Amino acid sequence: MNLLDKLLIVSGLAFIAITALRNYRINDKLSPLWYLALTAILVLMSGVAYENTTIVSGLHYQILGFKLNWQFDSLSWFFAIITVVAALASSIFMSGDWARYYREKGGNYGMLQVALIANVLSMFLLLASSDLLTLFIGWEFVSWASFFMMILRPTSEAKKAAVKYAIYAMTGAMALLAAMVVIYTAGGSFEFKAVSIAFQGVSFLGQVILVVLLFAGFAIKMGLLPFHLWQAIAYAETPGPGAAFLGAISSRMGLFAIVLVIIKLVGLSNLAEMKFGANSINMQNIIAWIAALTTIIPTYIALQQHDAKRLLAWHGVGQGGYMLLGIMMFDSIGSAGGLMHVLNHASYQAALFLTVVAVVYRTGTSDLNRLGGLVTQMPLSFLVMLIGIIGLAGLPPMNGFVSKWMVYRSLLVNGQPLLFVAAVLGTLGTILSVYKLIHNTFLGQLRMEHREVREAPWSMMAPMLGLSVIVFITGFMPGLIMPWIASVQESVGLPAVEYTLGGIAFAKGGLDMIWVSGILFYGFGVGAVIFYLLGGKSKRVHQFDNYAGGHFLSSDVRYHYSNNFYPGLMHLIGTWYRGSFKWFEGVLVSIVSFISALFENMYRSRQPVILLVAVVLAGLYVVYKNYAGVVS
Amino acid sequence: MNYSELLAELFLMPLVAFVVGLLMVLMMRKISARLQRRIGPPFFQPIYDIIKLYGKDTQISHGLIHDIGIVMAVGGYIGAELLLPVPGMDGIADKGGIITLSYFLMIPSLGMALGVGQCANPNGSIGISRALTAMLAYDIPFILIVFGAAWHYESTSLVGMLEYQQTHQWGIVEMPLLAIAGLFALQGMLGKQPFEIYIAPAEIATGPMVEMSGKYMGGLFVMQSFQLYTAGVLYASLFLGGGTTWLELLPKAFFVVAIPMSIAFMFPRYKTEDVVRLMWKWPVMLALISLAFIL
Repeated sequence: MNLLDKLLIVSGLAFIAITALRNYRINDKLSPLWYLALTAILVLMSGVAYENTTIVSGLHYQILGFKLNWQFDSLSWFFAIITVVAALASSIFMSGDWARYYREKGGNYGMLQVALIANVLSMFLLLASSDLLTLFIGWEFVSWASFFMMILRPTSEAKKAAVKYAIYAMTGAMALLAAMVVIYTAGGSFEFKAVSIAFQGVSFLGQVILVVLLFAGFAIKMGLLPFHLWQAIAYAETPGPGAAFLGAISSRMGLFAIVLVIIKLVGLSNLAEMKFGANSINMQNIIAWIAALTTIIPTYIALQQHDAKRLLAWHGVGQGGYMLLGIMMFDSIGSAGGLMHVLNHASYQAALFLTVVAVVYRTGTSDLNRLGGLVTQMPLSFLVMLIGIIGLAGLPPMNGFVSKWMVYRSLLVNGQPLLFVAAVLGTLGTILSVYKLIHNTFLGQLRMEHREVREAPWSMMAPMLGLSVIVFITGFMPGLIMPWIASVQESVGLPAVEYTLGGIAFAKGGLDMIWVSGILFYGFGVGAVIFYLLGGKSKRVHQFDNYAGGHFLSSDVRYHYSNNFYPGLMHLIGTWYRGSFKWFEGVLVSIVSFISALFENMYRSRQPVILLVAVVLAGLYVVYKNYAGVVS
Repeated sequence: MNYSELLAELFLMPLVAFVVGLLMVLMMRKISARLQRRIGPPFFQPIYDIIKLYGKDTQISHGLIHDIGIVMAVGGYIGAELLLPVPGMDGIADKGGIITLSYFLMIPSLGMALGVGQCANPNGSIGISRALTAMLAYDIPFILIVFGAAWHYESTSLVGMLEYQQTHQWGIVEMPLLAIAGLFALQGMLGKQPFEIYIAPAEIATGPMVEMSGKYMGGLFVMQSFQLYTAGVLYASLFLGGGTTWLELLPKAFFVVAIPMSIAFMFPRYKTEDVVRLMWKWPVMLALISLAFIL
């Protein structure tokens, strides 16, 4: 029994155990141990990433004459370690006081635990897929596991979002299934290598259709444009730590599949040679532009949100664009940046979501217009959110900067000014939006009802702080995780990045984060010396003791500047997105419901006619088939 | 680079930047005074101002983040100074690069935003909302300039860019349109008219500075001198060939910084959305045309 067998068996056992014990309190404290065990197994498996080998599981299953088995390579391992660490953080977070709180609010805590392990197990199955059939089965498991987690909150909005997701997911699955049929017909099997055989076998149009079907199927999961509407609301409505887990990694399964199928199996050269419009644009450019627009549009939707969870969830959609954009540059730096951003995003996104959940735990709301001034009450949570937003905004010295830097560097090397501006536009929008998040939550006026609020309990603080340490360390020494990324690149046929402990070795301008962080902290140090050692001693004053143009401020005056935070910008760009995508979605929904109503009506009222038509058509077909030759 | 050099650079680069920055502040005040037919402040006035602000009795702090905001605002620029290659000192600058530098330039804005946010004064927050929107406005042309320069000089390292210009021609000769777009971005970055709504010096009660007293204001004053130095030297390095000696570099940097102040009084003040509109239209258009020539 090798390590992959153990991984799958332990996660299966964990699923069974957590499901069986879901109504017992002992499960609360026990479940993080399962994730710890899974993490340990993955760490033991790290040879897969460092030496770039493949482990084939001894487990297999026979279905309809197809033998299903599973394997792990560096790509699978990379996504699996992120998954399991995100799950570990979420499960520790929810194991203590949060569980009690959730039960008191009437939530079914046991089912949340089951949903989490179901997600992890299904993701392992997907990541371990060794042919198209196991990929598809894993894909379906992942979709339904996310759906399961999304419907746990019994509000109508959550259900609506979850059902919307299910419809999107089914559409994606249909696209994937259609692509598999094409591959099976043209390539002869469901083996991964059948994809390239099928690719040679079909016409140019067939190739395009194949790529579009595969890409659309995976893009739906990732929330890429124009399929971005489902994700943010569905994730934001998922109960607390579940949202952190989904936001951190769930939608990245789409990226995993894109890297596996589109990059590795279809191949870079095939994509680059798929040219349209008198060879002016190829498939690579098209996907890169989809990625770039995905960074911009959801980010500026996030800017408009006034609910902290939705704001973060929309950013999650937007950051997915950076990952794909980097990978679509097909070079060593860009694709390394894109892949590294998966890990980076998971770390800060989980930290940020958990912080928001901690704030909700203490104050009861994530509405950005009903918070404020919490930094004095929850200083550690503030610190975690600060580290998280610096990561999300991609500023030095956090890890988000490293991966975004690589994407920018690659866009520069490849001479893509417009994509570069698109990426920067996304980053700037993110800075504006995350400042609004931290300002409206932790800065400004503290509301009267929050004056007794205390710091989140340690069961919540520990995973939050742990994640922020990851955010900082991987930013300070990106070389710690670069070997994994280099192996992933090698295994999927991308050029491997040259790295150092501090960052990237690249002629004509590399990156050394140890220096960059050192310089920055030196600057802060000098700034602190200038501020604290020179000049008079400052006096702390109460928050009401400030300039109000001659008015007296008191606790009944709410003057926190929170609603419509960027009026100038909104005045300008607000008109640009009057929901054209929502309109498009609405049109599609109307068309589908119209057609289904039409069919239903036909079927019910004209059933004999349909039967007659069907019989006549079938008869005609038989006649044509048998006698066509005779007549001519 | 050995340790003594490193220590010398760590100490000297911010110091030089501070002194030069103070001189630039003085120059700007002199220019604006002469344009308004005044004599202007005496030579040591910027120093007096800093001493006065730091020495005030009333130093109002609204909490730890208020303090840290000022530290981040000043510290971010000190970090940026170390990444700017200057004559005789480019060891540290070699470790960074133009992309890192442009992100360092956003840190002071974020630091100031955090500090002001902690003050719990809506007037301050309004100022920050405007300041960040303005940053979104002028950073788009700025980033196009960064792209154009890095592409043209085939390097993201500022040291490499200077070497290129010293063997070829100055950037402004080879990329004139990009240099003009750079002037727009410079005007916005320094917050001079018509892009000064977020500072609005005449209406201090409705800007980010509303709760800044004593050394908090002094810290921002120090930050301003660093900012002027950074802008001047960066522009000179990107387009005017930098300098092999200080005598060559400093006149260029002073000249660059003098431009925004000299033309500032010709303009009214734009609303925030008009700042964005203008910045995303003309300089971006110029920069894109220039990129079309370069690429």
